[in-house]
Amino acid sequence: MKVTLRFFARFGELLGKNRVVDAPENTSLADIVRDAASQNGEGYGSIFDEQGKFRDYVILMRNGKRVSAAAAERTALSEGDEVAVFPPVAGG
Amino acid sequence: MLSQNERERYSRQILLFGEEGQERLKNATIFIAGAGGLGSPVSIYLAVAGVGRIILVDKDAVERTNLNRQILHYDRDIGRKKTASAEEKLRAINPDITVEVLDTTIDETNVHELVGNADGIVDAMDNFPTRYLLNRVALKMGIPLFHGAIRGLYGQATTVLPGKTACLRCVFPHPPPKEVFPVVGVTPGFIGMVQATEVVKYLVGTGELLANRLLLWDGERAVVEEIALERDPSCEVCGGKNQHGDAP
Repeated sequence: MKVTLRFFARFGELLGKNRVVDAPENTSLADIVRDAASQNGEGYGSIFDEQGKFRDYVILMRNGKRVSAAAAERTALSEGDEVAVFPPVAGG
Repeated sequence: MLSQNERERYSRQILLFGEEGQERLKNATIFIAGAGGLGSPVSIYLAVAGVGRIILVDKDAVERTNLNRQILHYDRDIGRKKTASAEEKLRAINPDITVEVLDTTIDETNVHELVGNADGIVDAMDNFPTRYLLNRVALKMGIPLFHGAIRGLYGQATTVLPGKTACLRCVFPHPPPKEVFPVVGVTPGFIGMVQATEVVKYLVGTGELLANRLLLWDGERAVVEEIALERDPSCEVCGGKNQHGDAP
């Protein structure tokens, strides 16, 4: 299945903004992000902690709907899904 | 009632909002938390738009490193309190409005007193702990929180309407790590304009607000994106409930 991954802001700078990935049916949202992020050490480290869990401030969306980090591990994606991953910014 | 001077000063926007809309701006009080990168453009544009009473809070003094983005403060203001510098500029920009500045740190103990009877709170802070505090006060008082934040060429904004939309804690349950953030002045300029536009629309009662919508600005690619938001039923602050305690 083909899934679109979109990394925003700092994540996009490190991992590329948009990409379409080909993954086996029913791959979880978390695994698809993990796999894509693993190509860049700094990018991976900005999204995942040392245990491979999403850092708590990372925001995940599937087709425009928020998915919690815990749910992302068991959310199986489908053909054509769009996943957005972004870091809130804090400056003012 | 608007004076003749005011009718003239605001004539081009009275074409948009009518005298009634202008009077709503005149009768409003807006609390702006922070006189820095976001607070500068927000307060300047709310002042020229004729928001009748602007309360601006900041605890810092102007530093040279602020000057690439904090357009309320000039080179000659280095070392001066930001509140004094801001008050002088805003009064010069529009002597018909009331500007109140408070040189203090916003915290648990003073936030209610500082916000007073404001009609809305502009989040022009640079840290999430104070943002969460402003969020709680806005929810408690039932007034909107106009959120904005920036980093580098990226920014985000949303308008929290208590009881109607996701609160700031629903959207951002965990703050990003603290850092000395990179920034070029145009980014808080852009996001500050989004916030100020929201304030004006809210006060006049026109247009569609950024309610349950997170606007994301990617200045690197010149793209504005939007993410739909919803209340988090397990939110520790608003519990996804409205003001009457009912689930949405």
